[in-house]
Amino acid sequence: MNSVLQARAPATPVLSAHDITVCFGPRTVLDSLSLDITAACWTSIIGPNGCGKSTLLKTLAGLIDPQGGTVALEGRPLNAWPGRERAKRVAWLPQSTMASDLTVRDCVALGRFPYTGWLGNTRFADEEAIARALKATGAAEWSARRVSTLSGGERQRVSLARLLAVEASILLLDEPTTHLDPPHQIDIASILRQQAHRRGGIIVSAIHDMSVALMADRVIVMGPRSLVGHGTVSEALEGDWLSRAFGTEISIVRSGASYVWQPRLPG
Amino acid sequence: MSTSRLIAASELHNSAQRDSNARVTRWMLIYIVVALALAAMSLLVGTSSLRTSLEWLRSPASISEAVLWNIRLPRALGAWLAGALLGLGGAIAQNLFRNPLAEPYLLGSASGAALGVTVCLMAADVSLSGLAWMGELGVTGAAFVGAAAGITLTLTLCRGVVQTASLLLAGVVVAFLLSAITSLLLLRSPDTWRAMQSFLLGTTGFLGWRSAGLLAFVFVIGLIPAVLLSRGLDTLTLGEDTARSLGLPIGALRVGLLALLSLATAAAVSQAGIVGFVGLVAPHLVRESVHVNSRQLIIAAPLCGGVLLQAADLASRWIIRPSELPVGIVTACLGGAYLVVLLWRRAQRE
Amino acid sequence: MMHVPRALLALAAALLASQALPHEPIVLSDAAHQELRLDAPPKRIVSLLPSLTESVCELGECGRLVATDRYSNWPESVQALPKAGGLEDVLVEQVVRAKPDIVLLIHAPRVLDRLRGLGIVTFEFEAQTYSDIARNISILGVMLGVPERARSLNAHIEQSVAAVAAESRRRLAGRAPRVYYEVDNGPWGAGPQSFIGEELARLGARNILTPDLGPFPKLNPEYVVRANPDVILISPAEAPNLGNRPGWSEIRAVRERRVCTFPPDVRDTVIRPGPRIATGLQALAECLIRVTP
Repeated sequence: MNSVLQARAPATPVLSAHDITVCFGPRTVLDSLSLDITAACWTSIIGPNGCGKSTLLKTLAGLIDPQGGTVALEGRPLNAWPGRERAKRVAWLPQSTMASDLTVRDCVALGRFPYTGWLGNTRFADEEAIARALKATGAAEWSARRVSTLSGGERQRVSLARLLAVEASILLLDEPTTHLDPPHQIDIASILRQQAHRRGGIIVSAIHDMSVALMADRVIVMGPRSLVGHGTVSEALEGDWLSRAFGTEISIVRSGASYVWQPRLPG
Repeated sequence: MSTSRLIAASELHNSAQRDSNARVTRWMLIYIVVALALAAMSLLVGTSSLRTSLEWLRSPASISEAVLWNIRLPRALGAWLAGALLGLGGAIAQNLFRNPLAEPYLLGSASGAALGVTVCLMAADVSLSGLAWMGELGVTGAAFVGAAAGITLTLTLCRGVVQTASLLLAGVVVAFLLSAITSLLLLRSPDTWRAMQSFLLGTTGFLGWRSAGLLAFVFVIGLIPAVLLSRGLDTLTLGEDTARSLGLPIGALRVGLLALLSLATAAAVSQAGIVGFVGLVAPHLVRESVHVNSRQLIIAAPLCGGVLLQAADLASRWIIRPSELPVGIVTACLGGAYLVVLLWRRAQRE
Repeated sequence: MMHVPRALLALAAALLASQALPHEPIVLSDAAHQELRLDAPPKRIVSLLPSLTESVCELGECGRLVATDRYSNWPESVQALPKAGGLEDVLVEQVVRAKPDIVLLIHAPRVLDRLRGLGIVTFEFEAQTYSDIARNISILGVMLGVPERARSLNAHIEQSVAAVAAESRRRLAGRAPRVYYEVDNGPWGAGPQSFIGEELARLGARNILTPDLGPFPKLNPEYVVRANPDVILISPAEAPNLGNRPGWSEIRAVRERRVCTFPPDVRDTVIRPGPRIATGLQALAECLIRVTP
């Protein structure tokens, strides 16, 4: 696959999946899927419900061991990496947020676990990373509050801050915008953009809101059985990837700087 | 991003953090001071009146020396240590199982210990030749072995530490099974029944310097690793998958914590019998007073548990002196009352 | 006609006459003031208390026992009888299958209700003190139709007990050892009001426990250390470990090894308020004489 947007930062780490198959009991979710993620940009995974977006992200993060095939990070198989070394390079954000009695700042500080380890003594570099992450997500003003006292949207931003605190070059996000109102969704989108373009990070996210998802640079379109396409957003829209993936006619219209999905009522 | 702005943001957090830390430290100091006060009171309370005890302190004789320094002091210390171990076990259990009702006896340690003691008493009385070694082990050794065996059985039953839900279930099953076997044995050797009662209801009566030394040793080798592992517990609050993605070796963490839980519980039970509620209430009491992270809880819960059991021991000696109540009854009353207050306060809040 | 001695004829007539006369009905009142009316001594008896079992057998009526509780183990013939559990957990079915005419037991409400509900005749005894022994034997004597044997048994027991007590006091020669009897690990002690306490008093020993503590109090171990008994009576399993109990190595009895232990069969004679009390008393006395300073 050609990547239109080249790496902005030198030495981009590579995450690739070769023929991975993931089954949950009798159900095969990912079937011999191969994928190379190289470019320092924001890639969106788009596909119908149940096509395996979350599963793919988890497998790329090393949380699921595929029944077949391997995932490689910088050329080495993922499970050959020691846990904390892998954690410093690949960070994952789950769909759901947990309520916690910790303060926002302590929660975000947990993102530095790969660096601070068991003893948990933070050094200046860690403090800086935490402060940066809090600032980027606008969570700095709540840093002394308990996570359990925050609203759903606020908690999601704290989770994102935790993710950013890792300062990993590869970020995998599973539905980071579900609880957020539109202005905040745009905030998140611009954060992801920044991470990709200014810091040379590789961002892969699964967002079901089409308009936000299409703000990315590239897309991975997954159908119910297989990978339908992997390329730039324009390539996806010019081709019929989306329609093939969703199995119905999908009409996307460009409106100014963003893409809008025009749903058509049947009949 | 200017460094000064970053540092300003850090300062905001840091002062709040420092306040919270100060509050936690204050509570820990309170627990320690109360423990020392209770230890002092322990010297004066027992079968003698207050005045007599004070006289002894002033002009000791050999018997009163024995009573004060070989009985009352090590008993107070032993009670604190046993309570501390139970508090530690409770904090670990509640964190490990993510369940506020978890307590250290969940993995079948209590019923295993009871079975061990029953077999030991029977072996000593009825001289079952095959189990003579059990009788030689002594009651405390048998309790320890029994507790360890109970936990091992639970772990074997659910094959490893992968799923906490099945671990809990296996623990309940093992507890029932071992209790049934214990009851069966007691039916066949009914003389053992009354002796078992004191174990089953918890007793601090025979805690001497040797017991206290053993408990202290276990406490130190249990607390230090627990504190080291506590940061992992905080990370676990983010969820298992997230914690794994951050490089936390969850399996190893669980194994380590389970080992510490087992050690702490087995030691406490072997010396003081089955004392209920302390392991359950101590972490709750700490969390209700002040917000703590996992590391602070692992340190504060033992301090609280120690005070609880010390107070219960004192009460058990004083209420019907010169006779004494089994300490487990006192903890059950106090613990039960506290839980009722807790529930009532929760209901009020909602 | 042969010359049969007239006395013999008179005797035969009297015997025949006595068989023809109807027996007096047996009327007894038990410990719960329930009245019992029997036309004849019960032929099938279930005893749920070891001392009662022993009394029945000492009265020569062992043959009437059809079942006992699990603790009854003397005399040996009793061990072969079917066992119907303990007092708290009577095996009701076993009792019913034994088809008893009467069940002998002490006060245990649930058991009594259950048995009476099944139409079984029960008789409650009290078996706590020394005086209960004689009273129970007398009652059993009337019940089993052997009142003279009961009287002579009671006299025999009283004589033996008096003899043992006198001998013990003589051998102790004015020494009145302060004793502590531990019934169970706990520690549970035997107070002066208990049966054991009574026995010890009879032998001239002084109990370190005071009457206000009750018959079997659970003690603070400190109490025993402070009381510093001269002699300790305890189970054989606990005896070797007394020095390990915190502070107990200061106790005179422990330091000078003045500890009495009894194997289970001897212990039975000590703790049961029954016809073998003299044997139990003898065992206690022997030990006291041996170890008292």
